[in-house]
Amino acid sequence: MAFSKNSGAGHRGLQESMYSVISLVFILVACVELCDAAAALNVYRLIQYDMSGSAFGSRFAALNHHAASLHFPSGADLSRTVLIIPLSELNITFVREYINQKKPLGGLLFLLPEVFNSGNGGNKQVHEKEKLKNLLAELERLLIHANLPYPVYFAFENDEIDTVLADIKKNDAIGQPATATTGGYKLVIPTPEPKKVASPTITNIQGWLSGLKADGDTNQLPTIAIVASYDTFGAAPALSVGSDSNGSGIVALLEIARLFSLLYSNPKTRGKYNLLFGLTSGGPYNYNGTQKWLRSFDQRLRESIDYAICLNSIGGSWDNELWIHVSKPPENAYIKQIFEGFSNVAEELDIKVGLKHKKINISNPRVAWEHEQFSRLRVTAATLSEIPVAPELLESTGGLFDSRQFVNETVITRGVKLVAESLARHIYGHQGKNVQIFADGGSLAVNPAYVQSWLDLLSRTPRVAPFLSKNDPFVMSLKKELADHTDEVNLQHETLEGMFTFYDSTSAILNIYQVASVTFDLLLLLALGSYLIVLFCFLVITTRGLDDLISLFRRPPSRKVKTA
Amino acid sequence: MTMFHFFNCAILTFGPHAVYYSATPLSEYDTLGTSVKAALVYLGTALVKLVCLATFLQVSENDGFDPYQELLKALIGFIDVAGLYFALTQLTHRNISQNHKFQAVGLGWAFADSVLHRLAPLWMGARGLEFTWEYILQGLEANANLVLSISLAALASLIWLRKNKPKTLIPIIYACAGIVATMPSITSYLRRGLGWYFPKVVGFELFTSLVMAFISWQLFSACQRPSA
Repeated sequence: MAFSKNSGAGHRGLQESMYSVISLVFILVACVELCDAAAALNVYRLIQYDMSGSAFGSRFAALNHHAASLHFPSGADLSRTVLIIPLSELNITFVREYINQKKPLGGLLFLLPEVFNSGNGGNKQVHEKEKLKNLLAELERLLIHANLPYPVYFAFENDEIDTVLADIKKNDAIGQPATATTGGYKLVIPTPEPKKVASPTITNIQGWLSGLKADGDTNQLPTIAIVASYDTFGAAPALSVGSDSNGSGIVALLEIARLFSLLYSNPKTRGKYNLLFGLTSGGPYNYNGTQKWLRSFDQRLRESIDYAICLNSIGGSWDNELWIHVSKPPENAYIKQIFEGFSNVAEELDIKVGLKHKKINISNPRVAWEHEQFSRLRVTAATLSEIPVAPELLESTGGLFDSRQFVNETVITRGVKLVAESLARHIYGHQGKNVQIFADGGSLAVNPAYVQSWLDLLSRTPRVAPFLSKNDPFVMSLKKELADHTDEVNLQHETLEGMFTFYDSTSAILNIYQVASVTFDLLLLLALGSYLIVLFCFLVITTRGLDDLISLFRRPPSRKVKTA
Repeated sequence: MTMFHFFNCAILTFGPHAVYYSATPLSEYDTLGTSVKAALVYLGTALVKLVCLATFLQVSENDGFDPYQELLKALIGFIDVAGLYFALTQLTHRNISQNHKFQAVGLGWAFADSVLHRLAPLWMGARGLEFTWEYILQGLEANANLVLSISLAALASLIWLRKNKPKTLIPIIYACAGIVATMPSITSYLRRGLGWYFPKVVGFELFTSLVMAFISWQLFSACQRPSA
């Protein structure tokens, strides 16, 4: 401002008074707010990816259009308009029709209720929450598999955006959708064009707990592997926290590791099995990471694995029924043994466990369960999950609807007990006996606070693998936690190869401006012009007299007469 | 489009000054130099006022109306009057009649005031996408300020430049000059103490400026009659 420059030049000695002068300038001169938006909120972009060359998701990020609600007059041209759709008013058939018919649209903004924001309960009934969850799941499925040539964003509802939306609805109801000539609200997101994520890394974390080797025994101890994949995939990568898929699995694995590290710390209670804990990445992409992890194993190690238990989504409110999915036929002796072990413990814990068999088709690249990667390398494995049927590609991978609200830590605690007890009975040879190793109230009890705190952390951390860097702090914290409970921890960095390519720009700040129409500016210009002309005439008349005013206008006609 | 709005508000804020200069005989007598000198005097006055305010005033946390502070601000506001006195009497003007002198000084004064107080907020704010009525109201305020400055200059010139005034009118002249000089304090009282909204305050300013202009015009012509 002109002031501060002159003050600085003229009064260099008065440093302190200069600062107070400047602050006073801002107080005395009519304080003008320099913020320039009616509202600003955090928005999260729909994922943009290519799969085997085909483009999916929202292909654009920058936004600069007028806003409209669902009550727009039918037949209006929406190619330069952004539709704001709250989830509660979503009509899925309308959106599906719009996408399938490839109608032009300026952009989409979905407003999600606070219940999907981790930690906030909201005050909705359970039944309502379930309905919203299913609706959101369906919307997500639709959007992930569509190719949308306009920006699509998600945001959480708050008071500001609610008032803005109410205003927009009012305007639409009158029949004045916002365009450049009628004013209204303008949504602006000034981000650069999204770029490909170059060589996305997937990081596998493994922890090794050595078993008790008797002196003089040169044979390799058998190994039991417990595996869970920790990354997610969802419609909005910045919001894909996957509390159940697979946050519950990660938490269960960490708790099991903690319990067994307590047991193995004392040589008297150390079992004669090695334990291998694996936190794998690349889960949604046909368990790519697990495959690479297994391929990196030494042949001897792979052969020493007795069996592997994979954990996938054990935290939702399943009705006391868990499934063990296998790819070897149920008549197989090993499978029978595993299943019996789990059933016995499950009976005591009042849980039902069922066995599901799905054959692997080697020629089909689709890997629906993590244990299938083990089975392809002839290692006995099973997946424990609440999901009854094999999910499709990019399904049940921790999307928008999978938030903290829909996971139950008591359920996870019971799942942990089930797995830990079954493993312990196998390791210490107590199959069939009614021995409670991890009894409640004892020193080896499952710690619900541990489960809850890790679950809360996971529900706040989006974990889409291409956006996790090599030294991502979350990956490092998982490594550190596993290092606390195991003898040796290793990281394996690989690139996510194959059919997926991802694009960045996952979140942005949306500015909502209330703009005046062009007609308003033109009218204002007209009014000001006439005001100045009237002022001019008034002043000329009062100070110089009417004759002067007329004389100003008399010359042009005389010129015309001359030329004619 | 937003530059359009900036342009509109700019011509509302600064247009009348240019129109006043060109419409009245000021342009014929080439009194631009006087106006420029008056603007510079205003600048100096504003700096002196700022230093005094910085030294004597305490910054209050709340936006309420503190009578003691406002009184101090009003007293410091009289530095304005001193500056105007200086501009009218001490500066050497070319041979222009008193009639035009006060107009030129008032015009320069008002123009400097508008530029210093309103140009920066206008440049920062009116160019944004967000639309507010703020800058149009500010422009109207600038118009009111122009009228007030010219009336103040007229009354001040009556007080200091004209020697033979009718005795009865002298107290009225001083009273009117006092009112116009304390106008900033009055408007800040209305805004802070009574909590009036900006449009209301601007309306009040416009109204009072027209009234004061009319009164000072009458006074001026009344004083002119004896010498004419």
